[in-house]
Amino acid sequence: MNLEKVIFGFFIILACTLNFGFFIGDLERAELHHPMELFFAVVVNLIATVLKFGDRTQLGATHLATSLVASLQLLAASIVWVWQLYVVGQPMSGELTAVVVSLSGGALLANLFSVVLLIGETLRQGR
Amino acid sequence: MSDVLFLILRRLRAPLITLILVYAISVGGLALIPGVDPDGNRHPMSIFHAFYVMSYTATTIGFGELPYPFTDAQRLWVTFTIYLSVVGWAYTLGSVVALGNDANFRMMLVRGIFRWRARGVAEPFYILCGYGQSGARLARALDRMGNHLVILDPSAERLARATIQDFATPPLTLAADGRLADVLEDSGIHSPHCLGLIALAGEDGTNQAIAIGARVLNPAIPIVARAKSGVAKVNLESFGGVAVINPFETFAANLGVSLRAPEVVQVEDWLTGAPGSVCPPCARPPRGRWVLVGFGRFGRAVAKVLDAEGIEWRAYDPKVEEDLDTRLLHGDYTENILHDAGIEGADVLVAGSDTDAVNLGATTLARRVQPDIFVVIRQNQMQDRALVDAAHANLKFVQSDLMVIECLQVLKAPMLGRFIAELRLAGTPVAVATLERVQREAGDGAPRAWEFDCDVLQPGMFHAFFQRAGAPFTIEHLVANPISPKERLPVTALMLETEGQRTLLPPDSTKLKPGARVLFVGDDVARRLQMRYATEPDTIAWVCSGSEPPRGFLFRWLQQRARAAE
Repeated sequence: MNLEKVIFGFFIILACTLNFGFFIGDLERAELHHPMELFFAVVVNLIATVLKFGDRTQLGATHLATSLVASLQLLAASIVWVWQLYVVGQPMSGELTAVVVSLSGGALLANLFSVVLLIGETLRQGR
Repeated sequence: MSDVLFLILRRLRAPLITLILVYAISVGGLALIPGVDPDGNRHPMSIFHAFYVMSYTATTIGFGELPYPFTDAQRLWVTFTIYLSVVGWAYTLGSVVALGNDANFRMMLVRGIFRWRARGVAEPFYILCGYGQSGARLARALDRMGNHLVILDPSAERLARATIQDFATPPLTLAADGRLADVLEDSGIHSPHCLGLIALAGEDGTNQAIAIGARVLNPAIPIVARAKSGVAKVNLESFGGVAVINPFETFAANLGVSLRAPEVVQVEDWLTGAPGSVCPPCARPPRGRWVLVGFGRFGRAVAKVLDAEGIEWRAYDPKVEEDLDTRLLHGDYTENILHDAGIEGADVLVAGSDTDAVNLGATTLARRVQPDIFVVIRQNQMQDRALVDAAHANLKFVQSDLMVIECLQVLKAPMLGRFIAELRLAGTPVAVATLERVQREAGDGAPRAWEFDCDVLQPGMFHAFFQRAGAPFTIEHLVANPISPKERLPVTALMLETEGQRTLLPPDSTKLKPGARVLFVGDDVARRLQMRYATEPDTIAWVCSGSEPPRGFLFRWLQQRARAAE
């Protein structure tokens, strides 16, 4: 067993599952999407991105790209949320909730690609 | 395509000018003749309207009289122009049809399309000159190996067979003479995707001219030429850079090796055979007395080898002159002459005439006298394969089979060719050891051969030689299974080439140097697994040390800290 692989796989899959947890639920209803879940999804995604730094293989580069996409989408979602609550000073409207959740939906897709790459690499190496 | 366009323009010059004049006269006349509108006012037709009316009149579409009903003067003129324009169009269309049927024009068109398509081939391809029996078989073999083909042959009928044969990628064909430099250029000899050229035309002189032309045009690609006579072979070999194959001499040389070290030929046949086929039986021709049926190029090549081996032989052929050599008998292929040649006491019959019926007949007659005679038979025509196979000869010479094997060896596995050359020098003990080792390590089916190049520009090999603190890298690492290094891949290292030195059957403990090349045989799955060593540093590290190096920055830093703490 390789400790790096355990930690690596753990963060990639956790990033995906947290992302999914935030995404699921009616698109326009703010009360179904908890801000803490988005916060943790951002944090775990950033950690997963950092873990992928420095891998010189082709697959490593693709891994990093998917993580960067996911982090970018989640950060954009949080910025929209923060802007509405603290800059505009209004509660979340249905439309803006839909924007935040669909951004996190894009991130979910990128995270799924990441998981597919992880599984594919593991199967190919066969060890 | 530019010369095709040029030819079209030049041939259609007169009809086009005629057509322009017809239109000019008609349109001009119609615009000059005054018309009237429904109110009776004078209304000259504009040039635009005149052209419009002429366009639909001359092409017999006929929309009617526009913009107003014509006057009788106008109708008179239009009647005249209808006949004029029909003649003009008939002349032009007739010229176009004649051009389309013109043999020169068609040839240029075919050539232009061929050149354009050959330039567009973006996959590795071979140029094959000559599509006879050997050419067709080689084309099929190369196609099955996933190569594209450009085939040149002067006979369009032969090339037509290539279009109906079963190819994975239909080859590009052109009925042209490969001796012409522009034909070779059009078939893409300068293309970076061109992997090589094979000259298998019927005549030696043609092959010689093609090979020399190709060598001059592109010095970088491998070129293989068939030469059935000694003169052509010597000429081409002295020119240099062309692999020359003389099928008769090659077979005779193999026969010579079979007399001294039959196991060498057995190993050679097995390694060059179709993947998966079983090891062929070892053919051991007896030395004794030989009778040669037919004394053409094939018979002569065999006789030369027999002379070198000091073996007694007699030959007969209707075309030889007896007084040259007492061992030669002149006569038709009859039963009597077989007795005259001494078939009663003979041990080997070489049925090597250029007619299959004669060869089969001689085999049957000889067996009637000597049931246990060792028969070497030559098959000339592909359609006689079943008959010749039914004769169950001990050795069979089929020129096209031999050409395919030899060409593939030169083009696809040059290192295997060098191994076989070394094996011939080394003789029986090494051949027996090879057979035993390959069967033990790689299995009983005929293995595939490939080269493993320790090229340090590959990331895996760079790691193996420069990033492991000088730890030795051996063949043992290359034959380990990259998935579970304790298991051995079913492969055998046949030869190691390092700094110009060749080692046959290197043991697994042999240390490798950067740039070394190892000839492996085994199955295709094993080859693909082994190729991971070239491209994947992690796999090298895993096999050499049993643990994988950390891949990301963070874990590398942690590992360094852990090492420093120790």
